[in-house]
Amino acid sequence: MEGAEDKENVSPLDKEITSLKKQAANLRKTLKIECSTIISNPSIRDVLLSSLSPSKQKQSPTTLRPRKPKRTPSNRDRDEQRLLTRSKQQEAYDQQCLYRIAASVTAFKVRDPDPHAVDGGHVLGLRFEAMTRGQFLQPYYVMLNRPYADHRQFLRVHRHTVPPAIPLSGLAARYLPGPKKQQQQEEQEEQQAEGDSNSPSPLSYHLKQDLERFVKSLRREIMRYHNRLGVSADLRRSLGAHSNKDSNKTATQNNAIIDVSIADTEAKQIRLTWADERNGRLVMDDDGKVVKFVVFGATDGRDWETTRQLGDSQGRVEDVAKMLEEYASGTV
Amino acid sequence: MARFSVPTKARLPSSLRVDSTNPAVVKSLGRLSREALISLAISWLDGDSIANAIPYLERRGDDDEIDLDDLYPACGSVQELYEYYAAMQQQKGSKRDVANRILEGDWRHGLSLYQLAMVDFYYLEEHPMSQKWTAYKILPLKPPTQGADDEVLQVDDKALNVPRFHPSTFLQSLQDQVLPDIKAHYHFHRPKDLPVLLLRIFVIESPYNSSLALSGTTNFTSSRTVYLAFPDGSSHIYITKSQSNGPTAAGESRSLQNLIVHGVPKALSRPRERYTLTPTSLTSRNLETLLDKRGPGRGNAAGGGWSVYASEKNKKSPLDAILPSPPLSRDSSLSDQNRKRLKPLDQNQRAAKKAKLVAKARFGDSGLVADGKGIERVDILLKDPFPAAAAAAAAEAQGQDEEQTNAPGEPSISARRRTIDAALRQAADGDEELNEPENPSQWRPTVQVTFQGNHVFAGIRQLVEAGIVDGERMPGWMTGEDGVTVGVVRHGRIRGNKGSGL
Repeated sequence: MEGAEDKENVSPLDKEITSLKKQAANLRKTLKIECSTIISNPSIRDVLLSSLSPSKQKQSPTTLRPRKPKRTPSNRDRDEQRLLTRSKQQEAYDQQCLYRIAASVTAFKVRDPDPHAVDGGHVLGLRFEAMTRGQFLQPYYVMLNRPYADHRQFLRVHRHTVPPAIPLSGLAARYLPGPKKQQQQEEQEEQQAEGDSNSPSPLSYHLKQDLERFVKSLRREIMRYHNRLGVSADLRRSLGAHSNKDSNKTATQNNAIIDVSIADTEAKQIRLTWADERNGRLVMDDDGKVVKFVVFGATDGRDWETTRQLGDSQGRVEDVAKMLEEYASGTV
Repeated sequence: MARFSVPTKARLPSSLRVDSTNPAVVKSLGRLSREALISLAISWLDGDSIANAIPYLERRGDDDEIDLDDLYPACGSVQELYEYYAAMQQQKGSKRDVANRILEGDWRHGLSLYQLAMVDFYYLEEHPMSQKWTAYKILPLKPPTQGADDEVLQVDDKALNVPRFHPSTFLQSLQDQVLPDIKAHYHFHRPKDLPVLLLRIFVIESPYNSSLALSGTTNFTSSRTVYLAFPDGSSHIYITKSQSNGPTAAGESRSLQNLIVHGVPKALSRPRERYTLTPTSLTSRNLETLLDKRGPGRGNAAGGGWSVYASEKNKKSPLDAILPSPPLSRDSSLSDQNRKRLKPLDQNQRAAKKAKLVAKARFGDSGLVADGKGIERVDILLKDPFPAAAAAAAAEAQGQDEEQTNAPGEPSISARRRTIDAALRQAADGDEELNEPENPSQWRPTVQVTFQGNHVFAGIRQLVEAGIVDGERMPGWMTGEDGVTVGVVRHGRIRGNKGSGL
């Protein structure tokens, strides 16, 4: 009977199967969440602990696994042991998550798998959280090791996942100088000190490695980079929505912006393209203030008029979207 | 057309035509497939490029007679020609037909330099591995001190500015660097599937920038082609070896490459901002590899096992409290899948599983055969002293090594020797003769290991998975985590490349 209907009902049946599969996946996910919630509950942990201690061994099976009374005691013990380790892992993980939520930079220890790794493979990992639109992104990692045999406390960047837009090497050279360079600097300083005595050298602050300042400034750079990315994405979104809305009424409007894109590595420059093939460049500084704004005409060099019209109110990049919208609608 | 040819410094215009009987032109068209040739012709007839690729059209009056000898009668309009090629797409035939039609029919008066550049880029897209790219890093230089005229500028390692690249400005200043007896044609191209901007530089030795420069085959044989690639959002640049159309004099192509390596940083520099290029000892035919190791992403200094930190797959929001199953766990104890498997593993299976896990630990998400990020050749020069043959001492040291975490002295050295020994025995090609040393602690033979293949590190990973290479004792450079293709190994690590290459 079903075979006859098979050909006709392939698509509804398939649909049902996929929906059921989706449901099953959802249920499995819910199960996992419930599991982790239950296992991280302190009372559960207490029960587990008490069940493992020999005095209360008899009560434990009924409380924890009422459905499986067949198991031998040794097996049961093993399962509870595993549950306990799981619970401990969960606790540690919860703590890690809590720290990650609360602090945007967290540290952890890694072991370098390379058998020739310096310092016995001890690596200090730094985790930099990045967020966009209320969501945690993949964090950036910086791994530090101690490769200098004579200077045990000196750190060096070993591996990292920071994109090239962030001047990590410059920051590392400023705040985590190697011991060799330090000696050179000291010598230089001595020479300087001989020249003009009594005046403290400005370099002296950077002489020792300053992990805290390194992390601070690196975090700052990462945040700035992400904020710049976010600002240009917002700009694109607001202007894109604008042009879509108006596309029916004023499809040929020349002042509408058709494209907003990031023009350089650091995401400090935004390229704007108007519908009439004019294009503009917007340069912002570290803090998102508009530094330069230029508009080029489609054919004949710089479009001074538009530049003047738009560049008058030089403020923050966030304000530019509004201004451009007003310009497109002709109110400016 | 210019009546006079005056020596000039200007670049070669895109519309300049090369005779279609020129063997170099015939050769470069012949390398393309039929489909590529047709779509190329169609794109030439497109609105944007027609100015630089004007086809031969019939300008026949009413009284002129049709030339019956003409094998490929010229069309009357561009639209007609466009439709002709569009129809050709549907038909079957040989690519020779299309090539001949282009050369002897529709572009019988010659192909412009613009067209030739497009031909080359189509070839590059059909054969992405046809060029060998070398990655260079753009580094900022310290500003010169006032008064000192010819000082050698030092790399400013404390600079925080990231170099920026603007194509048209770059071309203008690059043109200023070109010597007057050399003429160049530039063409930018953006491949469809890679975040990179390609620049083709066609260089010819001639003082003229008119058709005189390209007339005759003698001039053409001295021409060179070099490709530059500018990855989006990365302070690196990839340069290919120059290729000539004619016989190459020794060292000549090298000098052009040097010219470019010196000219490019000057072209990138601006007043008060100077840059230099330094090679990063990474050479590959695979642009995707370069984009992975020297590109805009996170994987630049996190190769090998560290790639787990860079890959988006392991993204885990701290708001999600589900305990992630660790990637290397033997069994995720509470999942029901493992309960089903009741049969215990025998020894071989267990060893195989362990090898797999070790490979996963050492290589992470890198070195997979299908990831398309292959490196064809890795050269490693081992500069470590020859390993001592004392196996017993080594075994002893292993125990110590695992107990004492910080043992900078002898145990780590012997562990190193052990591993190099293993690496040599297992990974080195058979061509190196290893003689028994008289004084093992002093003897430092020059041993060069060369890995070759489609995807070297995937191959090593497979060897680890198969248990042929001991994954736990394998040195880090065999996982490709340093991201270099040429390196000198000292103390079991690639020398000079300080981890992240900072």
